[in-house]
Amino acid sequence: MRLSRFLLALVAIAATVLVGAHVWSQQPVTISFLLRAVEADQMQGLAEQFMAENPDIRIEMVRGPNAADAVENLYTTSFLLGDSPYDILFSDVVWIPKFAAAGWLLDLSDRVSEADLADFLPADVAAGLYQGGLYRMPFRSDMGMLYYRTDLLDQVGLAPPETFADLITAAEAIQAQTDVDWGFTWQGLQYEGLVTNFVEIIAGYGGFWIDPTTLEVGLDQPAGVQAVEFMKGLIDQRISPPGVTNYIEEDSLRQFQNGNVAFLRNWPYAWAEANRDGTPVAGKIALKPMVHAAGQQPAACLGGWGFGISSTTPHPEEAWRVVEFFTSPGPLKDFITEFAYVPSRRALFTDPDVLATFPHYEQLLKVAETAVPRPPVGQYAQVSDILQRYLSAAISDQMTAEDAMRAAAGESRRVLGVDG
Amino acid sequence: MTTVPQTAASPQTPDRGIPWGRVLLWLAIAFTVIFSLAPVLWQVLTSFKTNAAITQAPVVYLPGFDQLTLTHYVDLFRLNQFHVYMLNSALVAIVSTVLCLALGSPAAYALARLRIPGEQAILAIVLVVTLFPYILLFLGLLELVRAFGLANNYLALIVPYTAINLPLTILVMRSFFQQLPKDLEDSARVDGYNTVQMLWRIVLPMTLPALVTTGILAFIFAWNEYLFALTFMTRESMKTIPVAAAQLGGTTLFEVPYGPLAAATVVGTLPLVLLVLFFQRRIVQGLTSGSVKG
Amino acid sequence: MSKDYIRQREQRTGWLLMLPALLVLLLVYAFPILRAFWLSFFTENLSTNLEPVFSGLDNYELMVGDGRFWQSMRNTAVFTLFTLVFELGLGLIIALTLDQAFRGRGLARTIAILPWALPTALIALAWRWIFNTEFGVWNDMLMRLHLIGNPVNWLGEPFWAMVAVIAADVWKTTSFVAILLLAGLQSISQDLYEAHALDGASPWQSFRQITLPLIAPQIVIAMLFRFAQSFGIFDLIQVMTGGGPGGATETVSIYIYAAVMRYLDFGYGAALVTVTFLVLVAVVAVSWLYISRLRAKTE
Repeated sequence: MRLSRFLLALVAIAATVLVGAHVWSQQPVTISFLLRAVEADQMQGLAEQFMAENPDIRIEMVRGPNAADAVENLYTTSFLLGDSPYDILFSDVVWIPKFAAAGWLLDLSDRVSEADLADFLPADVAAGLYQGGLYRMPFRSDMGMLYYRTDLLDQVGLAPPETFADLITAAEAIQAQTDVDWGFTWQGLQYEGLVTNFVEIIAGYGGFWIDPTTLEVGLDQPAGVQAVEFMKGLIDQRISPPGVTNYIEEDSLRQFQNGNVAFLRNWPYAWAEANRDGTPVAGKIALKPMVHAAGQQPAACLGGWGFGISSTTPHPEEAWRVVEFFTSPGPLKDFITEFAYVPSRRALFTDPDVLATFPHYEQLLKVAETAVPRPPVGQYAQVSDILQRYLSAAISDQMTAEDAMRAAAGESRRVLGVDG
Repeated sequence: MTTVPQTAASPQTPDRGIPWGRVLLWLAIAFTVIFSLAPVLWQVLTSFKTNAAITQAPVVYLPGFDQLTLTHYVDLFRLNQFHVYMLNSALVAIVSTVLCLALGSPAAYALARLRIPGEQAILAIVLVVTLFPYILLFLGLLELVRAFGLANNYLALIVPYTAINLPLTILVMRSFFQQLPKDLEDSARVDGYNTVQMLWRIVLPMTLPALVTTGILAFIFAWNEYLFALTFMTRESMKTIPVAAAQLGGTTLFEVPYGPLAAATVVGTLPLVLLVLFFQRRIVQGLTSGSVKG
Repeated sequence: MSKDYIRQREQRTGWLLMLPALLVLLLVYAFPILRAFWLSFFTENLSTNLEPVFSGLDNYELMVGDGRFWQSMRNTAVFTLFTLVFELGLGLIIALTLDQAFRGRGLARTIAILPWALPTALIALAWRWIFNTEFGVWNDMLMRLHLIGNPVNWLGEPFWAMVAVIAADVWKTTSFVAILLLAGLQSISQDLYEAHALDGASPWQSFRQITLPLIAPQIVIAMLFRFAQSFGIFDLIQVMTGGGPGGATETVSIYIYAAVMRYLDFGYGAALVTVTFLVLVAVVAVSWLYISRLRAKTE
């Protein structure tokens, strides 16, 4: 009696499991990723388009915090613990080395052809490479550049600056001859933005932060110290307001928008903001690649977002279809035109429809071609935090440029394991 | 009367005009109450204000009827899954509390009644362990969670929560057992009960009040824990209230959701406010016997 | 049955009763700390592909030259010192108040425990909102009272951010100190005060000569608990400032968490855990000695 009841129960359980599994297999596969809430709203349209075309896949976008660092930390925790709820990593350019080094991402190189990759901005593709593998498909790009007031330059009769010295000359002339208070605003708060500013300046002096192949640290070489001295000098010579050491993008943009400053270092989004109806500078601004030392090349710090695929996802094929869709020319074009972002595909910069909406993208492509990545090392978060601390200490006059860079270089070398 | 200086002074100056002692006392009482309540009340008020009233300058202290709303609470359950977070918190806290009492009380009894070599050393260790901040444990626990594949599993929280409450449970329960008349147990032995039977049939019913006291403390600690919950739960469906609320913090760039945040604080703290209201005496008793007499 | 046999059986039962609890304590307390100690002699980070590689005292050498470690230690010391002083002062005032006889004392006591019982992470959210620059009630009150002319960026300026997190922690944990001190006050016999008053002592004198010495044990214990908790403070700061601005409120716990969860530097994180543990144990040991000497004196 007992045995038969037991068997009956067993059959019942087996039947339930089988039926359940069958029903389950009919369910669409869910592909999930985390992104900043603002972007989740913006990308909802594309996601719905995809799901309409692919009824077997459901895209779940988890709305995360808006600080990129916080999103990175949530992804890190999820992958580190195992049982990651996310199939896709929606990634800032600088995260890839860490996630790839930890073995959390699939190598995508055999899924995409050389020809297709050639359509993307080279720097954007390079940012997804780590030790020979491709771990990130570029989605939207971002790069730092110099904005300037055409009316003010006309007033003092100067051409747009090419070199650091030109910038200082022009700023001083404008501050002396017009009622504009400040010459140049940028981002000086102790955070990742400060590092992006520095990357452009040190490259403009012909120097480097970290050589990704040899792991050599160049901060304490002459170019590194010159770069910091240039930043300090801007404040000392009262070309930049003293408060610039607490500025993030919005603060520096606000000064520029209100007509208080002649030059601004910022990202592409600042164009639309500064040209908005009713700002005193609308229609009087232009953009160009960042200034540099005489005899050197300009550099734009590369930013932007793209997609990687988790190495532990049970649905790599479906995840790839999602990534392929978001990064293909059509959806990408719709997205960047609607939300005024910068594409990662070169052809879109000169696409007639895009140019009709954003005529300045032709100029922007010139900036994009000067884009340099931040060092693709696994310990990027760590070395960036070190650099932020010492840059901040130097520009807020707690350390000399030389001391700060020597200390930053020393700590970075120890983190990278190259101090011998 | 009581212990304190200003009242001790009254016998010497019986017929002074203004009772300065009383004035000072009521000032001190007012301070205590305002100090303890004001930040919480401010959060409660914020949670009922409309977004317009929340971001109005100067600050609105007494909102009109048109400045009050329940939408922040509705949003918590409609847009976010706060019922899920509440359930997770409740489940983890209750299970770990029960486990902690089940493991801690026998140990406490052994330490209170039975002569065990090294008893003092064990007690000292238990006492020192209550001082450890959780950050010292999280790295090792993280490795355990990864090794056993316990990510997004309730056990990843239940086991640590049981452990962090064990020292307090042992200390509090031990002091209760020590106050229990020994005759009872002796007569039980005479009646032929063995230790386990005696514990189950005689001692346990008598220590029910002590168990409730300890349980409340354990529940509060488990409900409030943040670090492990932040680290070991990465799926939305597994998160507990404190973590979910804190992560609500920055979900929109241009408008920080102060209203929903305030509502989340109120929802997450309400169960504890009720506990404190009903069990104030027990909480005080438990805390003091756990740390002072132990 | 011999006496020895009974004793043996009692011991065996005792160990059996303690075994489950001890096992859990070993798993959750002993293992992580021993493991951190062991791991601190290895390099296990992204440069070793997250595999442990023995490296001797390298991690400790790194720590000596790590400016951020020393800054976090300094921040932790400042935070701990100021929270302790304010909590003891305010806790004593509240305990003395609640020890008085007055109508509604039960309710006042209930209200006074409230801050202690509430989740720190949620309370941190409340304080972050109170200290908000534009819409925060604290700036608004200070401006209405004309104590400040312009809004202060409480959580954005290094100095004020530290003040803000200290204030929030003092609010949260003063009630714990008050509860412990109140228990001490209640155990003091009333006769002592009466006799003292008859001898012509002023209230201040009896406070200093009776109250303080008699609640000294409670003070020491409360301070010990608070020291350990303040020293390991994590949730409050993580939610209020995240350790910012620019590391101004970063305590050792926040740094440990970043080293492990953000940098994936397990070896270095383990070394940080070990050092924090040793500092804590050293302070506790010293106060333990002090307490036992105090006890020896009074007995």
